[in-house]
Order: sequence, then C-alpha cells, then structure tokens
Amino acid sequence: MFDEPYRWIDAIHQRRDYIAAQLERATPVLAVSVAEGIILATFHRQTPKIFELYDRMALAGVGHPADLESVRGHLLSMAHVEGFQRSTSDVTIERLALFGLAPKLKGAFEDVSVPPVILNVLLAEIGPDPSKDLLLQVSYDGNILRSSCYAVLGPDDESRTKDSQLLKERLPAHPAPLSAVLPVMGRFFLEVLYSPEERGHDESGNLVDPEKAAECGRRLLTERVWEGVLLDRSTPSRVRRIPADPGWFR
Amino acid sequence: MKTTESLFPSEEGLRLPPRSGYLPDLLRGHSLDPLRSRLSGAETAGLKGVAHGTTILAFHFSEGVLVAGDRRATASNRIMSNRVDKILEIDGSALLAISGSPAMALEMGRILDHSLKFYRRSQLAEISLEGKLRILAQLLKENLPMAVEGIGAVAPLFVARDGEAVRIYFYDILGAHFEGVEFSVGGSGSPEVQGILRYLDRWGEKKLRSLSRAEALLLSLRLLETASYFDAATGGVGGQDPVYPVIRILTPSSLETVADEQIASLYRNEVMRVR
Repeated sequence: MFDEPYRWIDAIHQRRDYIAAQLERATPVLAVSVAEGIILATFHRQTPKIFELYDRMALAGVGHPADLESVRGHLLSMAHVEGFQRSTSDVTIERLALFGLAPKLKGAFEDVSVPPVILNVLLAEIGPDPSKDLLLQVSYDGNILRSSCYAVLGPDDESRTKDSQLLKERLPAHPAPLSAVLPVMGRFFLEVLYSPEERGHDESGNLVDPEKAAECGRRLLTERVWEGVLLDRSTPSRVRRIPADPGWFR
Repeated sequence: MKTTESLFPSEEGLRLPPRSGYLPDLLRGHSLDPLRSRLSGAETAGLKGVAHGTTILAFHFSEGVLVAGDRRATASNRIMSNRVDKILEIDGSALLAISGSPAMALEMGRILDHSLKFYRRSQLAEISLEGKLRILAQLLKENLPMAVEGIGAVAPLFVARDGEAVRIYFYDILGAHFEGVEFSVGGSGSPEVQGILRYLDRWGEKKLRSLSRAEALLLSLRLLETASYFDAATGGVGGQDPVYPVIRILTPSSLETVADEQIASLYRNEVMRVR
C-alpha cells in the first residue's frame, strides 16, 4: 500500500495533520532561564507534564500521556545507566536528544504502518551559570530546536512562534530573578487560555474590569492544576516544586 | 496496520525502566552487574592486603545526628591514603558512613545514591525509610561472596530522616541492620569510641541528645583523636600537612558539611592543647 513514494508521502501528510489535530488543544509548557536555574511551568487537567529527569535536567511534554510516559521511561533509563557507568556530568540533554530521543521519534513518525506518537518534548538542563543553560525541543517528527533563554513548548510551529513572541515581549532581561519571571508566566497563561473579554480587557488590551480579571485568575487555578518546577542551581540533583501564587494570575 | 501492546509503537529498542524502580534491576537489564566480583579462592589470595581500616561514628545531639570519620585507608601495614572521605551524602537527604573495603563500600554508596534518585524519578515518589534500609541490606547481601573471601567486607552506618526524626542504623556484613538509638560506631578504631560514648551517655554531665552543636563537634574530634591513638589504621591529624576528619550533620531539615576551617580551629584550641 505504501510502496509507491507518492502514497508514502501522502500518508505522512495525513499523519502530520492527524497529530496536529490531536495536539491542537494542548496547553503550552514554558521554560525560562533565571538567575536561580531554569523554571518550567504549565497547567494540566489530568496528568502531569513536567518531570525531573536527571541531575540538572528536566523533561516536559505535550501530547498523549501514554507516549510521554514511554519517552520519559526511555530517557530515564538511558540517563541513569550512562550516569552510573561513567559520571553524572557525562549525561547531557544534547546526548539524550540526539542519540536517544530524536531518532526514535523520527522512526516512529515515518513508520506509517504503526500508530503515531502524539508528543512534543522539551528537555532543560541548567549550567553552572545562566549563560550555560540549554533548552532543547524535540518535536514528534524528531526535529530539534535549540534555545538558551526561554522556550515555549506547544502544539505546532505556528503557535510556538506566536507564543514565544508574546513571552519574549514580557520577559525581563536575562537572567532575571525567579520572582520577576513567575508573574510574567502567570499573565502569559491567562492571555493564552482566555479571551480578552473573559480577562476583563477591551479589544486594545486595556484592563477595563479588574474584578473580572481577578475572577479569571481564580477560575484558572480552580479549573486546572498548576505545575511549576525549578531546576535549582544550588541543589542540582533534586528539582524544587514551586506552588502557585494567586497574585501572579491577574 | 501492526497491532502492538506497547504504549510506544516503535518500542523495540526503547530502554524502559524496570517497574520495581530498583536501579540494580535496570543495570542488570543492560548486562551490568553493579557488584560483579565473583572471584575464585586462588584469585582472591593475592588481594588479602586491599585497603581497609577506619573509625566512623554517629550520635544524636540537640539538633540532629552528627556523623564523623577519619581520613585514613590502609592496606595491611601500609597507609594507602590519608584523604579518604568516608561520610558519603546519599541523595542529599541521608548519610552513609563506610568502614571495611573502600572499593566495595564506595561502590555501594554510589549504587545507593543512584538508586534513591532513580526510584524518586521513575516512581514519582520518595522511597520510604524502610525501602532505603532494604536496598542497602540487599547490596550487602550481594557482596557476601567478597566478604567471606576476606577482601570485600563492608559494615556501614546509615543515617536518614524518618519524618521529623533522624535515625541511625548500623549493619553487619551480611546485611542485618539495627537502630543505634543514641549512637553507633564502626571500623577498627571503634571499640574505644563505643566505650566512651556509652560512658558519657550513661554517666556524663549531659545526655548525648542534649549536647549543643559546639559540644558535639568537639566530642567527635576528641573521639577520633582517641581512636587514632590506639588504632594504627585510624588516621590522626598530622602536624606538617594536616588533613582533618570529615564531619557531616543531618537534621530534619538540612544536611551540612562542617567547614575545614572550623574543624582546624577546634583542633588547635581544644583537641591538641597540652595540659
């Protein structure tokens, strides 16, 4: 059935469309390099999306929870076996992404005879200082996108570009303290997840109804579950969970 | 379309972790046996002089548990090193004080540290205190062939949090573990230290648990100095190139390594002073 090149390419296009449709409603994951480390944040409804991966490293994913769990297990195994055989400092997200993840995702994407993997992945690694922080996004087709100061993991390239621009405009100069970045993240999620009217803003973006804005923030924290995870430079072998502060969401 | 029971369609080649969350299971799945040392009697005959010899101690004081150890490793009558750190941090939340064969003990410490992290990351939960104790017991049990050969025996102390409390456990080389309610000691220099601690806790001016931090620090240094006086395999503090004992303190909320400068000052002023 897929022997002819045209049919295979057609199947790949359909597969891409199918995955895009499945990922369409995913809430993005933000990752920002800050003075203290790297902060990753998102909201979920059912299952977590941000995980501790290894010393200095975290993993986040948007997509199907079962696929995320498979990828998480694979990377956990790879990191811990390699780190035990050699040194924890020899494990890097670059190696995990290039040798462990991207080829698997590409292989799964292009094998049109099996169900697709519905997942985009973000890997974060703190360096000894903010200039050495690294963020790698690996998409469902195995492509890798590298950044250092901030990243938005979303459903597709279009939303990532749009959301990245939105985040970039609001972030203070790198590296900012964590306390300055968290309220920016809070406002970002409100803007992405709710319409201006729901947030008490007019069409020009001016706040016209503060009570409505506060209500929108309360609604967000009630309807969804906040995930805030800090890769902390002062304790690199253990991530720190950052609880939500309602003050960030207004 | 292929049907598959796996979550990931191209699971072939994926390195999935064991459901147990137990690191040695993961390593064995990759043909790595962490304590692989199954030697014959003839092979072990040449290893009888491998490094060992130690004094390690742990006792409760007012803030938590102080764990201290000398720095010497010996092989037969030779000093192999005077700079060994025998008090190992385990996952930033526990301490393992090692006595016996350093090669096996350090490897056990590494496996235990990686195991606790791997469990937390793969199972998304902290392993229980009992679980930590069992992992170490299992490692000691797996090391039994080396221990009975007389070249790889390890008898550690393990200090970990239990809710709001901090507890001390001591192990024998078979993996049996018991709680040292007030204190525990280990290594060739431990008999004197054990006697002193028992005496102080029973008849001293203060119970060990009532000691302040300053009193606990000073006591630990004097105990190690006493051990080094009687036991050649326990290192003291030499005059020309002083290397000080390692002291770590575990409390319900912190894990701290006492700075060399503070230990040096105490040594000069309170331990080595001449009456």
